[in-house]
Amino acid sequence: MTPGTDGSPPEGWEAPRERWLSTAVRPAFGPRSVLLEVVARLLIPAILTFSVFLLVSGHDRPGGGFAGGLVASMAYVLRYLAGGRHELAAGVPMRPNGFLALGMFLACCAAGIPLLFGQPVLDMPAATVSLPLFGDVKFAGYLVFETGVFLIVVGLVLSVVAALGARMEAEESEARLWRGRRARP
Amino acid sequence: MPLLLILLLHLAVAVLLPSLVRAHGSRAFYAASLPPAAAAVWVLSHAPGILAGSPVEASFAWVPALGIEIAFRIDALALTMTLLVSGVGAVIFCYSASYFRSGAVALGRLCAVLLLFAGAMLGVVTTDNLFVLFVFWELTSVTSFLLIGNEDRNVGARRAAVQALIVTSGSGLLMLVGFVLLGEIGGTYRISELVSAPPTGDPWLPVAVVLVLAGAFAKSAQVPLHFWLPGAMVAPTPVSAYLHAAAMVKGGVYLVARLAPGFADVEPWRVLVITIGLATMLLGGWRALRQSDLKLLLAHGTVSQLGFLTLLAGTGSRLAAIAAVGALLAHGFFKGALFLTVGVIDKQTGTRTIGELAGLGRRMPLLAAGAAAAAASMAGVPPMLGFVGKEAALEAFVPGHTPQLPGWASVAVLLGIAGASVLTFGYSARFLWGAFAGEARDGDRAPEAPSRGFVLPPLLLAAAGIVCGVSPALLADPLAQGYASGFREGSYHLALWHGATPALGISALIIAGGAVLFWKRRAVARAQRAMAVSANAEVSYHMFTHAVYTFALGVTRRAQSGSLPVYLGIILATLLALPGVRLVVALVNGDVDLPEPGQGLRLWDSPLEGLVAVVIAVTAVATVREHRRFPALILLSATGFALTGLFVLHGAPDLALTLLLVETLTTIILVFVLRRLPATFSTRPNGWMKRLTVLLCAAVGTLIAALLWLMTAARTDPPVSRGLAEQAKEAGGHNLVNMILAEFRALDTFGEVIVLATAAVAVSSLVLLNRRNRVVEEEPDETEEEHA
Repeated sequence: MTPGTDGSPPEGWEAPRERWLSTAVRPAFGPRSVLLEVVARLLIPAILTFSVFLLVSGHDRPGGGFAGGLVASMAYVLRYLAGGRHELAAGVPMRPNGFLALGMFLACCAAGIPLLFGQPVLDMPAATVSLPLFGDVKFAGYLVFETGVFLIVVGLVLSVVAALGARMEAEESEARLWRGRRARP
Repeated sequence: MPLLLILLLHLAVAVLLPSLVRAHGSRAFYAASLPPAAAAVWVLSHAPGILAGSPVEASFAWVPALGIEIAFRIDALALTMTLLVSGVGAVIFCYSASYFRSGAVALGRLCAVLLLFAGAMLGVVTTDNLFVLFVFWELTSVTSFLLIGNEDRNVGARRAAVQALIVTSGSGLLMLVGFVLLGEIGGTYRISELVSAPPTGDPWLPVAVVLVLAGAFAKSAQVPLHFWLPGAMVAPTPVSAYLHAAAMVKGGVYLVARLAPGFADVEPWRVLVITIGLATMLLGGWRALRQSDLKLLLAHGTVSQLGFLTLLAGTGSRLAAIAAVGALLAHGFFKGALFLTVGVIDKQTGTRTIGELAGLGRRMPLLAAGAAAAAASMAGVPPMLGFVGKEAALEAFVPGHTPQLPGWASVAVLLGIAGASVLTFGYSARFLWGAFAGEARDGDRAPEAPSRGFVLPPLLLAAAGIVCGVSPALLADPLAQGYASGFREGSYHLALWHGATPALGISALIIAGGAVLFWKRRAVARAQRAMAVSANAEVSYHMFTHAVYTFALGVTRRAQSGSLPVYLGIILATLLALPGVRLVVALVNGDVDLPEPGQGLRLWDSPLEGLVAVVIAVTAVATVREHRRFPALILLSATGFALTGLFVLHGAPDLALTLLLVETLTTIILVFVLRRLPATFSTRPNGWMKRLTVLLCAAVGTLIAALLWLMTAARTDPPVSRGLAEQAKEAGGHNLVNMILAEFRALDTFGEVIVLATAAVAVSSLVLLNRRNRVVEEEPDETEEEHA
C-alpha cells in the first residue's frame, strides 16, 4: 500500500461510502477514514453529555465549568479532525464570538444580579428541591456562573481551532485551487 | 440636579447627532445648539441667587472610599465661564449650520464630538471636585484632538492634533499629580474648601502649585508651550472659534482664576503667572503682527490675549480679579465674533490671505461693521467691553493698587501690558484693514453675499461686546464683583468712565502708539523680517518627540530581538539574579531555617511516584535532544501527561483532570501549527551557546527545587485551606477546588475568564487579522472539491 502522491487515498484504502458525518467532504488531515468518522459520530453525543455532567457535578466531585468546557470543546475538535472545517461549521451552534459573548453575559449576570437585591457581588443563592425520578437535586446560583465559564472556554478553544486549524486549511485549499487553475490553461 | 441632567443631555444629543446629520444635513447643528442653550438659560435663571452670594451646589457619591464625589458648584466665576462656554457655544453651533455643507466629510462625527466637547467643558467649569475636574479636563483634550484632526486624511491636521494632545494631556498628567498632592495635604478634594482654607505652610504646597500651574499653562498655550495653538488652526473655523476663543484654551485661565483666591500668595505662584503671562502676551502680539493669514493672525492674537488673561487671573488681587472677569468676557465675545467673521470671508471668497482680499468692506458692510466693533473691543477702544476690561487691568497695576506687588514690579507689569496692548492695537488694525479695506480690482470674481443666518452670529457676539461695554452694570460688573468677593474689600467697578485716572492716560497712549504702529506698518514689517527668529519652541517640541521615538526604537531593537530562546534566557537569568542571589546570600548568612532531616525530604510516598519521575525526566531530556519537531512535540506531551499522573498520585483529581484536558488540547493545536513549520528545527544552539543554555536551565531547575523545599518547610501559620474545608461544608459543596473557584474566590475566577475571553479574541485576531468569522460562515463550495 503506497500512499498517493497528490494526497489521494492509497490503493485499497477503506474509504467510507456512506455519510457518517454531517458533511462528507475532505477532513483536515489526509484522506477520509471510516474508522475515525464512525468513532466521531458515536462518541460526540457521549462527550457532550459527559461535559454537562462534569459541569453540574463540579460542586461535589471533580469537574466544574472549566473542565466541562474543555471536554465539550474536545468534541468539536474531534469533529473537526474527522471532517474538516465544513464539519466544524456544521457542528457548532454559533460562532466562537457568540460563545464568548454568551458566556460573558452569564458570568456578568451571576456577578451583577445579586447587587440588585442588595447582596454582595457574586453572592448566589442555592436551594435543594426534591424532584420525581431524580430525588433530591441541588440548584445553586453558582451554576449560572460555571455555565458562563463553560461557554467561554468553548469559545476560546473554538476560536483558536478556527484560527490555527480551519483558516489555515481554507488558505491551503485556496492556494491549491489557484495552482490548479494556473496548471490548466 | 438639573445640571447633571443637562450634562447627560449633551451626551444623549451627541449620540443622536450622526443619524440626524445623515437625515437633515448640516441643519442638525441647530439641534446640537439646544443643550448648550439650555445650560446657558438655566444658569442665567439662577444668576440672581448666585451673584447674591449663594452658589448652586449639588454632589453625588462616586468613589466614597477615595473621597471622590461628583460635586458641582456654580459661583460667579463658574457662571461667567458657563455663559461663555454654553452661551457662545450655542451661537457657534447655529453658525455652523450655515458654515458646513451637508455633504462634508464626517460631518456627523464632527458635530457629535463638538457637542461632547461642549459638555466636557461645561463639566470642567462647574465641578467642585479635583478628580472630576481632571476627568472632564482630559475629556476636552481628547475631544479637541478629534476635532483638530477632523480631516484625518490631511497629514498636517493629524500632526497638529497629536501635537495638541501631547502638550495638553501630557501636562495634564503633571496637573493630576499636583491635584493629588493638593488634595492630600489639604485633606479634601473639594475645590471650594481648598480655596477657602488653603494648607499654607506645608512644604509640599509649592510643588503642588507648580505642577497644577504647568497643566493650566499648557492648556492655555502659555510660553513656552504656546506653539500648539496656531498649529491647531487646521481645524474647521467654527471649531477654532469655539475651542480657541470661547472654551478650551480658557480652561487653563479658568483653573488659575479658580485657585488664585486661595493660592496666589504661595511662593512661586505670582512670579510664574506674571512673568509667563507677560512673556506670552508680548510674544503672541509680536507674532500676530507678522501674519498674513487672517486666521493665524487671530490665533497668535489669542495666544497673546491668553497671556493677558492668565496674568490678570493669577495676580490674586481684587482689582486684577475684576479686570480678569471683564477681559474674559470681552475676549470670548470679540474673538468669537472675529473667528466667525474669518469663517464667513473664507467661505465666500475662498481665501483668507490678507494680500488676496480686497474691497470686501463694500460688498459685506454688515459683516465689516460687526468685525470693526469686535476688533475695536480687542484693541481696547471705548466704548467696547475690551476697553473696560483693559482699563481695569491698567488700574490694577498702577503702583500701590495691588499691595501684594512691590512698586517696581507693578511698574514693570504696567509697562509690559501697555507694550503688548500697543501690539494688540496694531494687529487689530491690521486684521480689519487686511480683511475689508481696499478697492476691488477689475476682474476680481465678486464673492457671493453671505446668507443672513451666516452673518447673524458674529454680529450677535460683536453686539454683546458693545452692550456689555456701554453698560457694564448689566452683566459684566455683577459677575466681576461676584468673583472678586473672594478677595479683600475694595471698591472698583467696571465702568466706562472713572474720571481722569492714570489708566485713562495710559489707554490714550496705547491707542496713539498702536495708531503709529499701524501707520508705519511697512517699517514694522521690515523690522520683523530682520528679527526673524530661527529657533523657536516648536522646533524643540519636534526635537523632543524625535528623540523619544529614537530612544524607543533603540530600546525595542535591543530588547525585542524576536528570538524566543533569548527572551526565555533573559527571564531565567533575571530569576537567577534576583531571588537566586538573595537565596544564596541568605543561605550563607544562615538567615533561612533549613528543614531538619526527616522533616522535609523523603524518597516517595508510593513507588509509582518514582516511576512517574523517571518518565518525566526521560521525556524531558529526550525532548531537548530531539531534532525533529513532531517527535519533540509528542515527547513534550508525554512529559505533561506524566505530570498529570503525579497529581493523581497526590490525590488531586481535579487538577489532574484539568491538566489532562489542557495537555490534550494543546497537543492538537500545536499539531495544527506544526503543519506549517519545517519538519526539523533548523537552528539549535551549538558550542558555548549550548553549554550556556544547559548551565542556565540546570541552575534555574535547582533554584526552583531548592525554593520549593525551603518554602514548604518554612510554614509558620496553619494553612488557610483548613478553614476553607469547614466553610465548604457550610456552603454545601464537597469539592474544595471548585468551591474555591466558584464561591470563595469567584471574583478572581470572574477576572480570569474575562482574560480568557480577551485572549481568545486577541489570539485569533492576531493570527487571522480578523478573518476568523469568515471560516465558519463559509459555505462548502463544490468547485473546490472537484479541483481537490
